[in-house]
Amino acid sequence: MQNIVFGIVTGSTLAVATIGFAMVYRTENFLNIAHAQMMALGGFIGVVLVDSYGWNIFAAGAVTVVSVGALGVVVAAVFFRPVRHLGGTVLLFTSIGVSLMLYAVIIALFSTQARFYPVGFGGRYEIAGVNVLTADLVIVGLAFASIIALQVFLNGTGLGRAVRATASNGELARVRGVPVGRVSNTIWFISSAFGAMAGVMIGVLSSVNAEIGWHHILTVLAAAVLGGLRSISGVIVAGLLLGIVMDVSVLYIPSAYRPVVAFGVLVAVLVLRPEGLLAVQRRKEAAVT
Amino acid sequence: MTNPVFWVGVLTLALIYGSLAMVLNVESGWGGMWDLGVAGLLASGAYCYIILGIDDPDLGTRFVPGLPMWLAWPLAAAFTGLVALAIALPSLRLRREYFLITTLAFAEIIRQIAVIQADLTRGTTGFSSLDRPFDTLVEPRDYNYVLLGIVAFAALVVYLITRRIGTSAYGRTLRAARDNEALALALGKRVNRMRIKTFVVAGVLIGAIAPLYLFYIRAITPQLFAPGITFTIWTALVIGGIGSIRGGLVGAVVLIVFTEAVGLIEVDPQYINILVSIEPFLVGLLLVLVLRFRPDGLISERNAFGTRAGRRARRVPA
Amino acid sequence: MELVLDGVRKVFGGVVAVADVSAVIPQDQVTALIGPNGAGKTTLFNAVTGFDPPDQGTITFGGRRINGLPPWRVAELGLIRTFQTPVGFTTLTVRESMLAAATPWFMETPRGAFGLGPGFGRKGRKLERDAEIRTGEIAAELGLEDLLDVRTDELSAGDRKLLEFARQLMAQPKMLLLDEPAAAVAPANIGRLSQLVRRLCDERGLGSLIIDHNLSFLMQIADEVHVLDQGVLIASGPPEAIAADPEVMRVYLGEQAAEGAGP
Ligand SMILES: Nc1ncnc2c1ncn2[C@@H]1O[C@H](COP(=O)(O)OP(=O)(O)OP(=O)(O)O)[C@@H](O)[C@H]1O
Ligand SMILES: [Mg+2]
Repeated sequence: MQNIVFGIVTGSTLAVATIGFAMVYRTENFLNIAHAQMMALGGFIGVVLVDSYGWNIFAAGAVTVVSVGALGVVVAAVFFRPVRHLGGTVLLFTSIGVSLMLYAVIIALFSTQARFYPVGFGGRYEIAGVNVLTADLVIVGLAFASIIALQVFLNGTGLGRAVRATASNGELARVRGVPVGRVSNTIWFISSAFGAMAGVMIGVLSSVNAEIGWHHILTVLAAAVLGGLRSISGVIVAGLLLGIVMDVSVLYIPSAYRPVVAFGVLVAVLVLRPEGLLAVQRRKEAAVT
Repeated sequence: MTNPVFWVGVLTLALIYGSLAMVLNVESGWGGMWDLGVAGLLASGAYCYIILGIDDPDLGTRFVPGLPMWLAWPLAAAFTGLVALAIALPSLRLRREYFLITTLAFAEIIRQIAVIQADLTRGTTGFSSLDRPFDTLVEPRDYNYVLLGIVAFAALVVYLITRRIGTSAYGRTLRAARDNEALALALGKRVNRMRIKTFVVAGVLIGAIAPLYLFYIRAITPQLFAPGITFTIWTALVIGGIGSIRGGLVGAVVLIVFTEAVGLIEVDPQYINILVSIEPFLVGLLLVLVLRFRPDGLISERNAFGTRAGRRARRVPA
Repeated sequence: MELVLDGVRKVFGGVVAVADVSAVIPQDQVTALIGPNGAGKTTLFNAVTGFDPPDQGTITFGGRRINGLPPWRVAELGLIRTFQTPVGFTTLTVRESMLAAATPWFMETPRGAFGLGPGFGRKGRKLERDAEIRTGEIAAELGLEDLLDVRTDELSAGDRKLLEFARQLMAQPKMLLLDEPAAAVAPANIGRLSQLVRRLCDERGLGSLIIDHNLSFLMQIADEVHVLDQGVLIASGPPEAIAADPEVMRVYLGEQAAEGAGP
């Protein structure tokens, strides 16, 4: 039971981390490896504001999320948009290049030392024999609040609907006169902002170091793929499930194997579930035309 | 700049990466299998080689096989081929992006196993001070030249092997199936079987190169096989030109010379972080710039395969 | 030897693309398969060649059941198809594409690349030389001889269509399934194409099953015509009889006339 709670907390951060990744995949059609470096950057900016400048964690979090979101828009404009016409593979490798550059910037600015958020939130509750920290509650609460806010934005505003239209059929949206540039900027902002938020959350739960981007890209990929890459609700469910599976697996196998479990689940699901059929589907499409 | 030993080391590393990139080109450039799991295969070969060679019970590992180098080396290559087969069988059923993620995940699983199975691999402690071929014949300080010679020979062999593959009917059909899988099937090509074989061949070659990497590094820990090394090899291949025969080698030399030269800059220790960050930054920048301004790489597949007439031909309006 | 369809049915989410089609297609004659757009012709090809197995019915070739076999196995048995959209092996030259089609599987292995295995030595070299000679011959017959070193993605649509045919011919089929081979091909080359199809059949007994919308091309070369409409085989017979069939006129020719100049 305790581990399920851990799992829900891990899973919420994972869901937040993955949403942004999946949004970019849906609209820009490539796996943005640099997303995880945005998480790391968010984690570091937050910890510097809180630890070095003594900011309140929520203020620091908000500033971090907005500034990394803006950075995401700039990075997309400078690096990704110019090679967009070259297709998903070039974009993917460009994102690896951008990852390496962001990683370098992180080391240069923040060094390779691990850093900790000096925030406690104090409280600890016992609910039905399970320990729950206030920090856990705040994180899960924030994760869900932001996901709901995103849904409200996507469904309730004109710009949000334009984003959704672009996600479901980019060509059609373009023809219908959706403001392509603004929509793209919005998507990059949201994606990077969610990444940064996940980075802060991970930092609060454990610590931040220069490597966390590389460590988390795989779990993010795993959650995104398990969620079907294209649906936001799928990603949320997959993130939560993966978090729970990882934390519960600790009860049965050595905890050192925790990351292996995530990748094992990923590989198993990929191989066993209909994605295998996707290959066949594509072959059919090729044959039919 | 004047220290030849430094440049010998740089060249050695460049040739090792170049060999790996040429092998990667066979499976990814020609075979169309976007493999992000090179690090996993490299780790399999390296650990297999090391473990088979353990002859000191004091290291505290469970097995002390103590095999000689000339036996451990081919066995490591064969073992890596088996690992590649185990990865290929499930992964090759998947579409491009999913294949890519699965291979990355397999590589991470292999690395984590290396961390966890400390009774075999000594976990994060790893091994250091390995025996190296011919190291009793020369003074230790001259050994760098010997290693460069060995690695250059290996790179030449890898180049000849991959060139032979590229120019053979086998390579041609690999490229054909990459371009249009349905069409290859309609011509009776056993596409999947051919790709599995190719993946295994790449595994064997990577496993055979792995000990060279160890001779250069002289120590082994799981951290060596983080995804970063896969990305570096990919970067070398992309810079050189995916699909061309020599691209991987050229790209690796450009990349490694470029980044290692930075190590020559003398800086105040307080700026050490900046120095450490320059290498990944340059690798990333180079990758981004090449993709933007020369997406086919320095040597394009067209130049490697197109005949003179093909190279001259301009796009005919449809 | 013949290709036999028995009650072949294919449904796509409620749309019956091919409805219980039964037909016997002799291997040594030219058979045409016509029908309006969306009639299910390509779907039938996909069912026969293993790309999209039928939901019901059996397909045999030379008495051997082939539905359920993977596409490469069907091809190995001698049924070689072309594709309606001639994408081809985009980065290979015309020559490379044709040679690749002619290469036997045992030379396309890592071992084979080093001259080991069954393709070793004289035998392998002879196979290669023969393939090169045939490449030159077939290319010349179709007017592709000047384009042998041009990459597929740099060919015009018409030349790509001709390559589609030339390349599949290199695979030494027992029977060809051609999906709209004359579409986008220049009129002069259509003449060469029909001559070659006819000659292959008469001289070497290599028959074909041809889908096309160009009826004058088909009526010239076909021994027998099958008409498909909304998945149903509505008429079969010699070209003259089909041309005179009022039902066919209604569903096919009539629609074409109404549309104007055809597809
Ligand atoms: N993979 C598929 N999924 C869903 N429907 C399909 C698929 N393939 C074909 N169809 C449908 O089946 C019907 C028959 O299509 P098919 O491509 O066989 O027609 P066709 O006779 O080849 O037409 P054309 O002359 O235009 O090539 C069409 O209604 C088409 O929309
Ligand atoms: Mg069709």
